[in-house]
Amino acid sequence: MDALARLAESFIGLFQEGADFFVALLTGIIPLLLVLLTFVNALIRFIGPERIDRFAVFAARPGIAFLPLRYLVLPVLAVFFLTNPMAYTMGRFLPERYKPAFYDSAVSFVHPPLGIFPHVNPGELFVYAGIAAGLTRLDLPLGDLAIRYLLVGLVVILIRGIVTEAITAIMMGRRTGAGSSEETTEGARA
Amino acid sequence: MKGLTALLERIGRSVGGIVGALYQAGRDAVETVLRNVLPFMVFISLVIGIINASGIGDFIAETLSPLASSAIGLIILTVIVALPVLSPLLGPGAVIAQIIGTLLGSEIARGNIPPQYSLPALFAINPQVGCDFIPVGLALGEAEPETVEVGVPAVLFSRMITGPIATVIAYFASFGLYSGD
Repeated sequence: MDALARLAESFIGLFQEGADFFVALLTGIIPLLLVLLTFVNALIRFIGPERIDRFAVFAARPGIAFLPLRYLVLPVLAVFFLTNPMAYTMGRFLPERYKPAFYDSAVSFVHPPLGIFPHVNPGELFVYAGIAAGLTRLDLPLGDLAIRYLLVGLVVILIRGIVTEAITAIMMGRRTGAGSSEETTEGARA
Repeated sequence: MKGLTALLERIGRSVGGIVGALYQAGRDAVETVLRNVLPFMVFISLVIGIINASGIGDFIAETLSPLASSAIGLIILTVIVALPVLSPLLGPGAVIAQIIGTLLGSEIARGNIPPQYSLPALFAINPQVGCDFIPVGLALGEAEPETVEVGVPAVLFSRMITGPIATVIAYFASFGLYSGD
């Protein structure tokens, strides 16, 4: 009987551990998240997401000078105002050869702002919040991490855009030239 | 008198509009939290609870902590996750990244991983971001089928290069993070 009781206790204990963790998340994350989401939702409503359409047309122009616009400013605006996954619809303003690079750039920006702007992707908040929760338990402030995550994210999406644009160009070139069977090795070398 | 009424009506209308927008924003926020955030929180609490209480956590900590507490280890982690075969499988819902992130978080809390590694770790667990979603994402951008055919491998191969680069940049950007105290 004693053994059974202990078994029951350790069974419940398995979930009590999870419940404690849940309460910590609930009180630590949800209140701020709700208030912040409300503010940003209202802000987007007042500004009007349709305004970035015009900017996208402008950013779609070819040329090296427009690289930072295509793979830095446009993805950032798209992700901030349209959020995941509607941000990728901005690709429709770009010529075909830039679309994979824009997608790569935009999708890579759906996590770095999470520390400051969780509205861009609340469903995947824990990519950031999981690691941040550990720092909170050490009583470390999160602001420094959040801002560095955002800034490094900006650098990374620009690099991703440029690299993917180059790879896409190579692969499209080979495709029109030779057959498509060699693609894999070429892409890997690129 | 007529002008005053018109003015009052205008004020009332615009205030009503603003309050309405804010109220709707609040409603949207609550719905997002209920639909997207809370279910995942419960799920991750269950997983983390079982992992911690059952002792699997110690095993994972022993394998994951050494990997996540050196620059080389983080780059190795990045390269593995960015493999074009694995990345589309690890992508969906960022579930894997979120679980590994939370596990790393508890290891940071336990002191097994130095806090300044949190920044490169954020990139090391996530080079596969969106790799499962490339065809859909491109379709949302109204891409031609030929573009999708080229775009999927292009992005996957690009991640092999840019994934480790991101981790390295984050590693250098983490100097001075949480080291003041």
